[in-house]
Amino acid sequence: MSTQHSKKANIFVKDTAVVDRHDATFWAVRSKRDKMAHEVPEWENLREAASMIKKHTVTHLADYLEKFASNAEKNGVHVHWAKDADEYNAIVLDILRNHDVKKVVKSKSMLTEECGLNDSLTAHGIDVVETDLGERILQLLGVPPSHIVMPAIHITREQVLECFRGHGIIDKEGQKAAESMNGDLKTLIAEADPTFLTRCARYHLRDNFMTADCGMTGANFGIAETGEVVVCTNEGNADMSTSIPALHIVSMGIEKLIPDYESMAVFQRLLARNGTGQPTTVYTSHFRKPRPGYEMHIVLVDNGRSDILGNEDHWQTLKCMRCGACMNTCPVYRRSGGYSYSYFIPGPIGINLGMLRDSDKHYGNCSACSLCCSCDNVCPVKVDLSTQIYKWRQQLDSMHHADPMKKTMSEGMKIMFDHPGLYTSALRMAPIANVMPSWLTGIAMEPWCYGHTMPVFAKKSFHQLWKSDLKGKK
Amino acid sequence: MNSQKTKDFILSNLRRNVRETYDKPDLSFAKLEYPDPVAAFIQTATTAAGAHVVEMNESDDINDLIRNAYPHAKTIASNVPGIKADINPDDVDRPQDLDGTDVSVVEGTVGCAENACIWVPQTMKQRAVCFICEYLVIIVDRKNIVNNMHEAYSRIEMPEKGFGAFISGPSKTADIEQALVYGAQSFCGVTIILR
Amino acid sequence: MKVGLFIPCYVDALYPEVGVSTYKLLRSLGIEVFYPEKQTCCGQPMGNAGFQGKSEKLVERFDELFRGYDYVVAPSASCTSYVRFFHPEIVGHECEAAGKTVDLVEFLHDILKVKSLPAKFPHKVSLHNSCHGVRELGLSSPTERNIPKFNKIKDLLQLVEGITVVEPERPDECCGFGGMFSVEETGVSTKMGQDKVRRHIATGAEFITGPDSSCLMHMQGIASKQNLPIKFIHVAQILAGE
Repeated sequence: MSTQHSKKANIFVKDTAVVDRHDATFWAVRSKRDKMAHEVPEWENLREAASMIKKHTVTHLADYLEKFASNAEKNGVHVHWAKDADEYNAIVLDILRNHDVKKVVKSKSMLTEECGLNDSLTAHGIDVVETDLGERILQLLGVPPSHIVMPAIHITREQVLECFRGHGIIDKEGQKAAESMNGDLKTLIAEADPTFLTRCARYHLRDNFMTADCGMTGANFGIAETGEVVVCTNEGNADMSTSIPALHIVSMGIEKLIPDYESMAVFQRLLARNGTGQPTTVYTSHFRKPRPGYEMHIVLVDNGRSDILGNEDHWQTLKCMRCGACMNTCPVYRRSGGYSYSYFIPGPIGINLGMLRDSDKHYGNCSACSLCCSCDNVCPVKVDLSTQIYKWRQQLDSMHHADPMKKTMSEGMKIMFDHPGLYTSALRMAPIANVMPSWLTGIAMEPWCYGHTMPVFAKKSFHQLWKSDLKGKK
Repeated sequence: MNSQKTKDFILSNLRRNVRETYDKPDLSFAKLEYPDPVAAFIQTATTAAGAHVVEMNESDDINDLIRNAYPHAKTIASNVPGIKADINPDDVDRPQDLDGTDVSVVEGTVGCAENACIWVPQTMKQRAVCFICEYLVIIVDRKNIVNNMHEAYSRIEMPEKGFGAFISGPSKTADIEQALVYGAQSFCGVTIILR
Repeated sequence: MKVGLFIPCYVDALYPEVGVSTYKLLRSLGIEVFYPEKQTCCGQPMGNAGFQGKSEKLVERFDELFRGYDYVVAPSASCTSYVRFFHPEIVGHECEAAGKTVDLVEFLHDILKVKSLPAKFPHKVSLHNSCHGVRELGLSSPTERNIPKFNKIKDLLQLVEGITVVEPERPDECCGFGGMFSVEETGVSTKMGQDKVRRHIATGAEFITGPDSSCLMHMQGIASKQNLPIKFIHVAQILAGE
């Protein structure tokens, strides 16, 4: 009785120091988020409003997209439409080739991750440089993100130092970085000082901003009424990426649309508070027009989203704004790490999005939920995450992905619970053997004993006590 | 790849897949307000946002305030009238030429007390000036401080150049072991001059 | 007032004393209590395993057995919540009994509005706010939400003479039981349980108490595997003065 997720999680959880650090890190973010939520008296009104705005927008999405595209074009922006990842990658490549682009600086975008853009561009000889510090570290290490907002949280400072050293960044930028801090280079290296490492990355990336031909960003929001996109970052890398290179390409999932500024205020207030526990991201940048003499392109990507809208149980995943709060609060994510999940988005939203992307590939994540419902309560747009996971589990059998043992046990339970006579006689027998009957409680004995002692059966069940001691007595 | 075909496919698929429609909600619920928004703004700016705030008095010379804040600055860039600057971003052809700017001085039109965001519209030719510098000075009028982002969004105006950003303190990252570091890819420090 | 007593399978087989306490407590409050003997389980174990369809018959019988009472009371927040919120969906129609099914805490706090109890329990207890109690039944305010703070379980326990009620750090984080979850995700479930028990112990309490026998069983199994010095008792037992 194990799943793709549980096999990996069982290994991750063995290193207590690592798992405790991972858990404490994300619990700290959750706590900061709680503090923020409690500082805004209208917090629950905001969540309800955000949920309703998204429900409204995604159920009128075709109209809003037309409005958005038409306004963006009026602003002088080129708008493209991509049905799937291949079309998207081709469109981007086409734009880049038309501009003879050799190097792209990119600010963090989960959509490009979803579509595998970097690999596609690299394969065509284009130098792609991630500019979010965490993403850049991962890119240099050649590993995927383990969280959507804090992608490199699982990497230690020593690993970062080694990585930067291996790529010549310490040699090239170390002295300058140390000077900027009035520090001693050797000491800073010996301590793998995070400020020092960040400064090294700053100068390393600065060179790339200066020499790139194109800046790519995602979009946290698209505003239909004005045809502009909003990008939120803390590092300022989206602004650097788009104010220096000549070309700006925005990649935007079609569900990122909201109607207007009035709506934007609601989401701006929720996003950072909920995601990282800050009252705002440092930058909330609104891009409406291309810089004079340059071009701005927006690629609107479907990649399965318009189908999700028709999925009665799961269409509300389209409300998600990728704040990451459901991961931070998830007791399973915190103790199993991002890599235990097969989809690149982990945690409760990732379980659902992975199933929607490819259920044959990602059904093994459905076990990663104790149904505690904490995610439902942090979600700023009220996606019914745990209910959706429960619903996926109900579908696994028809997808031929049900665990055979769970099925056998459930069938056994059905027989037992459908026949009160059988059930009560089983109860009478149980204490004699004192073996937890799995068909009674859904508990398989062998995995249970991994972390637990066996429960002790009462000598007399309540059923028996009722008949012998309670029934008919005052 | 046929963009119109794809567009038609996406839009018709969306229209086909809608089962139930929802109205836009009423947003008239009470919003966070402060007895003294300016004081609240200063509090948020100097704590959560990590900025310095200089309260300008009538007798102050704004150029002195900037100089006092960054006495070692060698290059100051600004197109704000009355600001003594070495570089005017309106006269710069290549944004790369702004690299090495120590201090940029810009004007913000709305400040928000709840999160210390200041709306900085692009009034200059090269908006890189707002991000490429080591330190940023933002001038904002006290009378333009509002309580919350709802008020802020109802007040801001998109400039002709089509770009504006809410900025709240210096560029930050915590990507290495959650250690908070100021000065990731953009400016390392911010001074807000409250006029 | 006629109450149908629902004793879920875990309680029936492993913790019958919780059922007895519930019965006696209700009787002591002047309630007429009936126990339909053909009851078995709420169906949640199958649902969590992904086979809620297998509990259709069980749900229909539950409704037949219990719909005649004014309330159905169960000493289990999780089973109550499953009956109330999932039964109608499983069979595709409204279930009269499901709408009247309440957890013991809800029944005492919200319906009977109990203001005093003759019970004594001169011990320090750490309160286990179980997930479905908090986030589905609303027995306490979830820490995630910005709503006025309340805790109905604590309110009731504080009516007991001599008791000291404390809550652990992370007062409503999951203990990691989750039914089938505990055997499918053994590593994570055990780690969650160990962390939870450790936080309960850190309060200095002698007992962990809560409204869910399933969570208590999970934590008890973990504590005993690690020989951790803590005892377990269901809220019903304390309130009944057992």
